[in-house]
Amino acid sequence: MISSVLGVVTLTYLLAGLLFLVAAFSAPPRFQGAAGGFLWAGLAGQTLAILGRWTQSYLGALGPTPSPALLEKIRLVVHQAPLSNFYESLVFFSWCMPFLGLVAFRRYLQNYLGILVAWLACLLLAYASLGVDSSIKPLMPALKSNWLLVHVVTCFLGYAAFGLGFGAGLLYLWQGRRYRSRLPDLPQLDRLIYQTTTVGFLFLTLGILTGAVWAETAWGRYWSWDPKETWSLITWFIYATLLHARLVKGWKGRRTAWLAVAGFLAVLFTYLGVSFLLPGLHSYLT
Amino acid sequence: MSSSDSPATLLASLFELLTSIRLTIFLLLALALEAMIGTLRFEGIYYTPWFLAPVMALTLNLSACLVKRLPRAVRRVRQPFTGQQALALPERGRFAWPAGADPRPMVAAALRQELGRPRQRRLNGREIFLYERGRFRPLGPYVVHLALLLIMFGALIGKYWGVEGSLMLLKGETATDFQNLQTGKSQPLGFQVRLDNFQVQYYQDGRTPREFRSDLTLLRPGEKPETAICRVNEPLTFGRFTLYQASYGRSILLQVRNGESTQVLEAPVGRVLQIPGSESRVKVLEVEENLQMPMQSEVRPLGPAAKIAYLEGSGHAQVIWVLKNYPQMVERQPGPDRFTLLNLSPDYFSVFQVKHDPGVWWVYSGFILLLLGFFLAFCRLPQRWAVVLQRDEQGQWQGRLLGAGPRARESFAGHRERLLARLNPGANP
Repeated sequence: MISSVLGVVTLTYLLAGLLFLVAAFSAPPRFQGAAGGFLWAGLAGQTLAILGRWTQSYLGALGPTPSPALLEKIRLVVHQAPLSNFYESLVFFSWCMPFLGLVAFRRYLQNYLGILVAWLACLLLAYASLGVDSSIKPLMPALKSNWLLVHVVTCFLGYAAFGLGFGAGLLYLWQGRRYRSRLPDLPQLDRLIYQTTTVGFLFLTLGILTGAVWAETAWGRYWSWDPKETWSLITWFIYATLLHARLVKGWKGRRTAWLAVAGFLAVLFTYLGVSFLLPGLHSYLT
Repeated sequence: MSSSDSPATLLASLFELLTSIRLTIFLLLALALEAMIGTLRFEGIYYTPWFLAPVMALTLNLSACLVKRLPRAVRRVRQPFTGQQALALPERGRFAWPAGADPRPMVAAALRQELGRPRQRRLNGREIFLYERGRFRPLGPYVVHLALLLIMFGALIGKYWGVEGSLMLLKGETATDFQNLQTGKSQPLGFQVRLDNFQVQYYQDGRTPREFRSDLTLLRPGEKPETAICRVNEPLTFGRFTLYQASYGRSILLQVRNGESTQVLEAPVGRVLQIPGSESRVKVLEVEENLQMPMQSEVRPLGPAAKIAYLEGSGHAQVIWVLKNYPQMVERQPGPDRFTLLNLSPDYFSVFQVKHDPGVWWVYSGFILLLLGFFLAFCRLPQRWAVVLQRDEQGQWQGRLLGAGPRARESFAGHRERLLARLNPGANP
């Protein structure tokens, strides 16, 4: 049931992207509106699917003798948030794209940027559905914490904002080689790179801080140079560079676009590379 | 000596270098690169001068920037938003009210509803309503950097005054010391701790642990004993130390024969044991309830088994499988110590991380300050608004909306549109 809803959502995002593409090549504004509508519909469907999985995972964890205490129930609900394995993280990552696009960056969400948001979400969801084990696994003791929810949510909102910045950076570099009137103009892309970086940096910092507090209660160390921690710090350094370069030295344009691209490569390595190539404390994905 | 390299100039140019953003960017990228190398190749790089030197340089760079720029930011924040300054803001709209109408209450209400409570000033016969948001924005970056210094200070305190170690307890065992990880020696806890019970609960699949917990009795000399439970994610603080449930394991009973002498050892998985009366050491690597041996066409169960590493004197470690059901295999072992598996012990042992870190509260204060700094820097972008009212010769009120918010374009445009609608004299109150 949930997987078929997600299948429909994947197609909806694909369609939204196509409509944005049509809108980029033709004047009538109604395509733009339709594309936005499809994106909203997809986001709503995906939200329902995530909530459905959350319910399933909660009911599965209730066990034969559930505690009647309300506080225990709330605790269990928080612990069972569908954010505890690779599949669930991909689905949430995908959800963050249209969410940020529609809520935080709605002013920019037209034509090529709409395509970017819709197709990135579609791609992530398709990969999750086709290539990754989607079964609900019981939660291991280390992940049973109230910090799981806020840590994962903040990290992935950060990743998604950086993903949009990456897209904007690529468009900037492409547009910069030869002017194309259908692409957003350079100052707009430059502003978008800066704004996505700010939002991403805020959330990444929150993610690192909540992770540190959690690590302190779980392992007795707020920082252990675990590969995932280290790579998140590398990512943080790269985006800190971008912000300093832009805010203090006034760098704009190509150089910040390149930094946004490099930063997102570090994000991808933090998310995927570390999990699959470097063993460590964060090996929950495989 | 020319005047250009006098100590004062030298100091000035050193300060110039330390406060340069170019240096910041260089150091940030250098640290990113080194950390990359650290995760891919050299794990210990974070404790070497190669990494610590740029960290120190960055700390200096950051402090110098604070010293240089913070006073300026404080001065800017301390300047109040006055009526005089309001008059210099760009104009965003004009209004005129009919004779006899007093727009002042309406203007105050409109500003309060759209932005927040305005201040009211009178200047040369003008009535000026002022509203300012994000006044403390210039302090944001400095609060962030101060927070980072605080976090590093906390880390330093933890490094020099913190203690970290580990403690392993078999069921029923009492400990008064733990293993200090930095010195490798045992160190007194200052209290006694006994593992009364250790439980592992599994999920229905029978393999994934649902929960593991240690039931402990803690006793300080001269006081009443206390019982407590320690779980993953639920550490236990007692006396100077905090205990974290880290892991658990099983132990096995090994018979060790060397020539004519035999002895029995209880060997916990993962711990290196000195074999009494010899130079040799042994470590149990893995335990299998029922070892599955894949043959050509089938899988044969071989019964309880343990994989051990045996270090004879200073020689190389040798890995040996010891099978309970096949004691005759003992003759194939290299010796001189030969091992027989007597039994897998039914009980678990429990491993705790032991820690005392006086720096952690500095680090946490840094975290809170960092969030405050981010809020100031990114979430409260400055906007200044003013409504200036003036009576013309006929006694009619004229009004002008003034405002600026160059960093907060989107929010500014929204407020402007709604304020114009609210202030429009034709609109219903």
